[in-house]
Amino acid sequence: MGHLTRVSALARAASRRGHAVVLLTNSPFASGLPLEDVLGTGVEVFRLNPALGREAVGEVVAQCLEDVRPDLFVVDTFPRGLGGELAPLLPSVRARKVLIHRDVNPTYVKQYGLARAVDAFDLLLVPGEAAPFANHPRAVRTAPWLLLRASELLPRDKARARLGVPAEDTRALVAVMGCGTPEEVGEAGHIAARLEATLGPDAVVRWLVPPGAAMDAPASAPRARQGRRAEASLAEGLALRRSTWPALAVLPGVDVLVGAGGYNTVQEARATGTPFVALARPRLYDRQALRLRPEERAGSVEALVARAAGLARAGPARSERPYVSGTDDAVTLIERTVLSA
Amino acid sequence: MSGLLCQANVGFLFSHGCGSAAAMTCMRCAMPLCEQHVMPVGAEMLCATCARQHEDHTGDEGGVDEDHPSYYYDDYGYYGAAATSGRGRAHDANDFTEADGESLRHEDDASFEEDMGGS
Repeated sequence: MGHLTRVSALARAASRRGHAVVLLTNSPFASGLPLEDVLGTGVEVFRLNPALGREAVGEVVAQCLEDVRPDLFVVDTFPRGLGGELAPLLPSVRARKVLIHRDVNPTYVKQYGLARAVDAFDLLLVPGEAAPFANHPRAVRTAPWLLLRASELLPRDKARARLGVPAEDTRALVAVMGCGTPEEVGEAGHIAARLEATLGPDAVVRWLVPPGAAMDAPASAPRARQGRRAEASLAEGLALRRSTWPALAVLPGVDVLVGAGGYNTVQEARATGTPFVALARPRLYDRQALRLRPEERAGSVEALVARAAGLARAGPARSERPYVSGTDDAVTLIERTVLSA
Repeated sequence: MSGLLCQANVGFLFSHGCGSAAAMTCMRCAMPLCEQHVMPVGAEMLCATCARQHEDHTGDEGGVDEDHPSYYYDDYGYYGAAATSGRGRAHDANDFTEADGESLRHEDDASFEEDMGGS
């Protein structure tokens, strides 16, 4: 879901500057998210079937480029496409090309010749993190990208109300972010249940689930893509579950955020100053252990629960820092790239 | 299957559930499936996702080098100059735990660009 959230942040900012945007995604979460509501009418969303293979995705992208004929083509993270499907397409794409460039597995960088692949792009946008080609002549760094503006975050009382915490309940609120893969969303339910058992009446625990995810289905409905472990997690965390997206909107009401080391969760926690503890999940391309700071990182579920409970009981103050998103700067850089064509 | 519908994702551009009457469930995740969307994998009848995960887990895995440095990074160690926190301190690889190492074990994985759901 991280790629979708990051490109949604850029699409939203571009649309607000008057640009027409087509967003093409094969994220398995896309079908359940209210993307049109959050992105606005200026962004047209095409949801590809996540089961499509690389050849089929390549065909769809080629057809989309032929139909839309964009002035600008933006690719997130993978300059060759996730399955290499863009590599044969890019030379014939007349649009200016922009790569959103973040950290990727250095073995992949080396084995697949990404140094050559990034040369096909007119601009490399580096959103707030170190990246292999951040020093490329056409690379420009921005602040991390956030989906919402500061004024769009809910005030603390409304955020807590959105998560089902009564106004008179002043206990610390611990939110466990259901993010990553569908299975990890389920495992977050298990972590939330363990936290509630550990904290008892000392805090309120919530399990945040993206709308439309299998975990968001009514308990009586057949649930797709869930293993037995996820099924058990669902039963454990059912009472704690809150369907929420974007979760960024409610972070002002969260006293401790528990999650993983994906780009958006980490940047959103830091931008809002929310006390945060996370597991570094294994990924083929992303390296979450390198993104997380030592004080944010827990080495096991047991350590995660213990540290989150400790934070909740200690009631740490939110760190005060300016809420800065790099999306507007990114759109400005893109506009310059198009104008220079 | 007492009225359950097949939950397999279908559709070319727009993903949606199959909707046909389910004939069985995936033997791993219990997803209801019609006869068209069940995949025999060894002795099991699986949905496409579990079948793909099975293939991923049984495929060859290359050797693992957990100390693989990136020579692409000028400031490897990470988030030093680029950090937005202002802490100005790079990470120390020795801070990693075994679990952190586990999260990086895919670094030498040979299955790049093979899974469109791999990121």
